[in-house]
Amino acid sequence: MTVDLNLVGAKGAIAEAAEGKWGMSIDQDICTGCQACVAACAMENNISFVGEEDAGYGRSQHWIRIERFWEGAYPEVKATPFQPMLCQQCGHAPCEPVCPVFATPHSEAEQLNLQVYNRCVGTRYCANNCPYQVRSFNWRDYHTIPERGNMVNGTLVFPLHNQFNPDVTVRRRGVMEKCTFCIQRIHKAQDKAKSEGREVEDGEFTTACAQACPANAITFGRVDHPESLVSQLTHQKRGEKHLEELNTLPRVTYLKEG
Amino acid sequence: MIRKTFEWALSPMGRIAVLIAALSLFSLAAFGVYQSQQPPEQPIQFTHKLHVGLGVQCLYCHPGALRGPSPGLPTISKCWGCHQQIGKTQTSPLLKPMVDAMAKGEGFTWVPVAQVPDFVHFTHRPHVAAGLNCENCHGDMTQVTIAVNPQVMNMGWCLNCHKQKAAGDEEKLTKLTDCGTCHY
Repeated sequence: MTVDLNLVGAKGAIAEAAEGKWGMSIDQDICTGCQACVAACAMENNISFVGEEDAGYGRSQHWIRIERFWEGAYPEVKATPFQPMLCQQCGHAPCEPVCPVFATPHSEAEQLNLQVYNRCVGTRYCANNCPYQVRSFNWRDYHTIPERGNMVNGTLVFPLHNQFNPDVTVRRRGVMEKCTFCIQRIHKAQDKAKSEGREVEDGEFTTACAQACPANAITFGRVDHPESLVSQLTHQKRGEKHLEELNTLPRVTYLKEG
Repeated sequence: MIRKTFEWALSPMGRIAVLIAALSLFSLAAFGVYQSQQPPEQPIQFTHKLHVGLGVQCLYCHPGALRGPSPGLPTISKCWGCHQQIGKTQTSPLLKPMVDAMAKGEGFTWVPVAQVPDFVHFTHRPHVAAGLNCENCHGDMTQVTIAVNPQVMNMGWCLNCHKQKAAGDEEKLTKLTDCGTCHY
């Protein structure tokens, strides 16, 4: 279905029409901030370890991070609930129209924001325009930094290359990257379902962060299927979407203060 | 300075020098292109022609194509499964590397010929399931010894076929021309 997203005052209509396909709900009431999702995401998606120096420059690469804020003035400060922040896979994404080379298109088939690494030329315009600050840039070829290799019989070998996920591209220097909602797992599940002649079932697969969460705070699935678990959680009263007033139509719902 | 160089290039000696420089650059480029089009050095001069001619199915040695992303390249044990029963194996000079490797308990490392870059995630299963035969992409293996690509496997070539196959089906076309179908 096509909707004119530039129509003034049509926000409700847009939200209803553009519900999306894949969605996530994050329960902040039961998130303990353990960062298991951050570690799992890094392992699943071949995310680089940037090292101490580059992290100091603010070049850390995480597709999901745990945010914490403080409320009130000292000494009466109160910590807000832990807030895992990842790409919201916006239905009306600010990052998409600014790319001069169309390296961050919107997937019509999966209703996700894509990042096409081979097309990206590294203008970093998308990261500047992302209100959630979830995009990260590869400032170096972090996976082939010589100091991280071992010299074996005159050739450099990188032991950490053995844990790369073959289903995910290893990003090279000069490209932007971000959370993909584990699109490799989506494709794998769809491929398996198709080979067995059925539809993908709810809960058949999940993203790396949701799988690793010990408190089951993260739920992933089809938001356009009313009977799916994530759809039911998303439509709870305590659900809210971040920066919804920007009309980005985020696909991640945060549940808190039940 | 520039004017002087230009005048020198117009003199007879200068013309010859420019010609030699241009020729050497051209031959270097031609050599580079030639090199990139050569089939890679394989551990054994494997004859696809002979094996397919004897009636061995593609999927016997590359079974992964039916079920998964990668068809796989056969290990030495698979070769040995048939070849140990063939008397010529022990005498043929072409098969000596295999016999030696088997005696030492080693394998060999095939060099994949049909490859896509790291940022392309190609899966064989849906292509085979869609009714494509091996030779549609890999060429007629009854004609070649070491496998060679019959065409450049680039995105235009992929998309041409995807568009043809999905003609008339809007949903299928969206899926088959979506960036995220192959690039992630």
